[in-house]
Amino acid sequence: MNQTQKINVVYDDTAVKWLIYPSLVFLLVGMLLGLFVSINGFLLPDYFSGEYIHFGRVRPVHVGTVTLLWLLSVDVGLLYYLVPRLCGVSIWSPTLAKISIILWWPLLILGNFSYPFGTNWGWEYAELPPWIFFIPLKILFVVSWVLTAFNLLATVATRRYEKLYVSLWYAIGTLIWTTITIYIGWFHINFLPGGISRVNASFFYIHNLVGLIYTPMGLATAYYFLPKLANVPIYSHKLSMVGFWALAFTYAWIGAHHIIHGPVSQWLQTTSIVFSIWLFIPVWSVVANLFGTLKGNWKKYLESPGIRFILMGNVFYLLTCIQGPLMALRNVNEITSKTDWIIGHSHISLYATFSFFAFGGIYYLIPKITKRPIWSNELSDWHFSLNLLGSLFFILPLWIGGFLQGLDWANWANGRTYAEYLQNISVLPFVETVTRMYPWWLLRSIGGTIVLIANCLFVVNIFNTILLQPKDKLVEDPI
Amino acid sequence: MKIAEKAEHSFVGTLLGVLIFFTLAIGVTVVSPRLVDPTWTEATSSYQVQIYEFGDPHFFISNSVTGSYDLQFVAWMEEGKTLSAFVETERSRILAPAELKPFITHVGESIKLTDRILLLRAPTGDLKKEVASVQDKVRDEFITKFPNWKERAMTPPTVDVFEIYDPKLKEAFATSANEASLEDFADHHFEIIEPLKKHEEIGGLLYVKNPTEYRVREVETPVGKGFRYSPNGKSIGSLEELKKLGFWSRQELISLGEKIYAHEGCWYCHTDQTRTLVQDVVLNGSDSYPAPPSSASEYIYQEVTFPGTRRIGPDLSRTGVKRPSRDWHRSHFWAPKTASPGSIMPSFQHFFDNDPRGSQAAKPGVPNLRFEAIYQYLMTKGTRLTAPSEAWWLGKDPVQTKAIIEGER
Repeated sequence: MNQTQKINVVYDDTAVKWLIYPSLVFLLVGMLLGLFVSINGFLLPDYFSGEYIHFGRVRPVHVGTVTLLWLLSVDVGLLYYLVPRLCGVSIWSPTLAKISIILWWPLLILGNFSYPFGTNWGWEYAELPPWIFFIPLKILFVVSWVLTAFNLLATVATRRYEKLYVSLWYAIGTLIWTTITIYIGWFHINFLPGGISRVNASFFYIHNLVGLIYTPMGLATAYYFLPKLANVPIYSHKLSMVGFWALAFTYAWIGAHHIIHGPVSQWLQTTSIVFSIWLFIPVWSVVANLFGTLKGNWKKYLESPGIRFILMGNVFYLLTCIQGPLMALRNVNEITSKTDWIIGHSHISLYATFSFFAFGGIYYLIPKITKRPIWSNELSDWHFSLNLLGSLFFILPLWIGGFLQGLDWANWANGRTYAEYLQNISVLPFVETVTRMYPWWLLRSIGGTIVLIANCLFVVNIFNTILLQPKDKLVEDPI
Repeated sequence: MKIAEKAEHSFVGTLLGVLIFFTLAIGVTVVSPRLVDPTWTEATSSYQVQIYEFGDPHFFISNSVTGSYDLQFVAWMEEGKTLSAFVETERSRILAPAELKPFITHVGESIKLTDRILLLRAPTGDLKKEVASVQDKVRDEFITKFPNWKERAMTPPTVDVFEIYDPKLKEAFATSANEASLEDFADHHFEIIEPLKKHEEIGGLLYVKNPTEYRVREVETPVGKGFRYSPNGKSIGSLEELKKLGFWSRQELISLGEKIYAHEGCWYCHTDQTRTLVQDVVLNGSDSYPAPPSSASEYIYQEVTFPGTRRIGPDLSRTGVKRPSRDWHRSHFWAPKTASPGSIMPSFQHFFDNDPRGSQAAKPGVPNLRFEAIYQYLMTKGTRLTAPSEAWWLGKDPVQTKAIIEGER
């Protein structure tokens, strides 16, 4: 990493700005939508009712906004920043990057906000419609993605530094994985026989979207920005190698763990469970490596909100990845599956882990690309503290409530005869297990509100940094 | 090229390593399962195949434009393809000219099927004279059986009498009294009389029971020109003519229903799988029998399948059996919180033509089209695994779920 200081390269950061700045707006939009569905769907169910605003039509807009318009966009923006710097060359083609981003935003925005008008494609996380009017939306988005991937891969291939840093492996991996995963989940699924063959491909896609897109992108950013923020080298290169190759080997096998006890072959379920348990290897090696990096330098945790975000993200990463493999076990799955536990799990991974990593990255990168210090460190501190508080308020109730609901359902199986089971269900009918969730949903919305406020402060802070005259001048370091 | 020259071994090695691991995983977990496990692509039963491939495309639904909710169900019969049966009951008798007599199935006989186009109507000509004697015969039989019927306050039965006739058509449009037309399935004790074509009989055959011709007459309504079923109206000559009246096949409705299920986002709150768990088979079971867990083969006729990841509302994989009533679904979609207290489901008033805020105004054809589509889609859930006479809710579950969950197996 010290190599970077020896060579004087002018990096073109237009692509970084074009991706990251808009994504900050969509962070707020997505979270506002999330808060809206948590209230209009659960606390005051169907208060605003009607064709275009009911839960089923707005939920995918929330999910799409935070996953694609916020997290994917910001992560690709961060890659556009870190890949050239780790290679010691500017991006291979700035023009190509601009073209791909010009395609990127209108397509995603158009597709994502069309769901309320009846365009939902029906496969989870692949809801984008193949066509809107005469626009082949999915194909054009893939074009945009392939241009991005080619551009970044070409940058790596033409790099100046021979040694590949771990972030670059993850970047190379994710560019390949994403391309193939998207092909299978968006296009190839149509050529498979109807029914479970497609379901299986869909779960392969769903899991890899998290495991082979957001995870490697998130880890690439954490591995790059944590040492940068703390100005210390990574704890162990060997360990990071173990983590990367273990992830490359195990992750793609576990899609079927989303349908344990479901209508897919038992051997496939078992395979996915075995590989799920193996995930402990890549995860724990990453966690240990990131914590180890701050060994002896823990004071820095207090000094920089960026470091706090990455390390707290690391704690949540550990939590989510202890949950994940355990939830794949048949007996745990029996309780947790299909409950709000799952919603908690997806929020801890995509929000409290990977979005936290992205926040950390942004806190490092904004002063670099704008040559101005963060407008207000106080706001950054509030951003972190409120985020941590809000996330816990938001995720813990979903786990506890979901687990209790799972136990309620499992209690129907207390007894020995069918008559006894039916008796259980008449004592505690399904709808009752839903209404019992109300207090947990209330806490979830409170947590969500806190997180939203925190992120409003964040976005104000960042845009003030970009737009206002700095309160004090940045003390320049070489890059 | 510059890139190719500069790309050296660590870059290419990472690229190749990633690709090899990924291909291996895809091969085993995505490509191989359906090659190894035939249930991923094979049907559960011959009933499932016939109801989807033959029943649904030949069963049509519409109504008149009067705005009232009177659905018309019409079976499209094709010579050499559609089987029909003429079945007598305790309350009905069928007459036929001599050459068509073999097609009558009398009470207690095994079902006689034909792939000729034959229809039922009120007796005409010579056969009309026989009606009175048939009625008398039935009355006499009753009196012989219950000599003291007057003391026991019984009434002698009257029977409806029909006649089989040959309309000399290649295709016909028939209606039958109940909605279940084209769900009648002959799986044991049946014979095909004078078949025009060979029929694959493995596992049973779908047929139309007691078809009478569907005739319509035009009517004037405030909305415009419409039609109404009328026994003396004009015949329907072709499928195009039927579709012009606004008829949709059940296949089209189910497919539309699946699309509605997708874009309304039903699947974010409802799962469509009975898992191999006691809680699931009980949740979806009938009063007497647990539901068999979902098998891969149930889903093979779907474009998109919605197994679901979250159960905010109950599972829907056995809805066709648990909630078969169209009226229940109508009131539930209109106001879920009223129909099932405690529910947090949004209302779907835009499925109905008379929704004050809906985007779809009433049009001639299927009334409440979107409701009918989602209803027909939901009615496929759990009802099509095996023939109705072998159904799990009658205790004939091939998996023997009950024995398993009660620990007897």
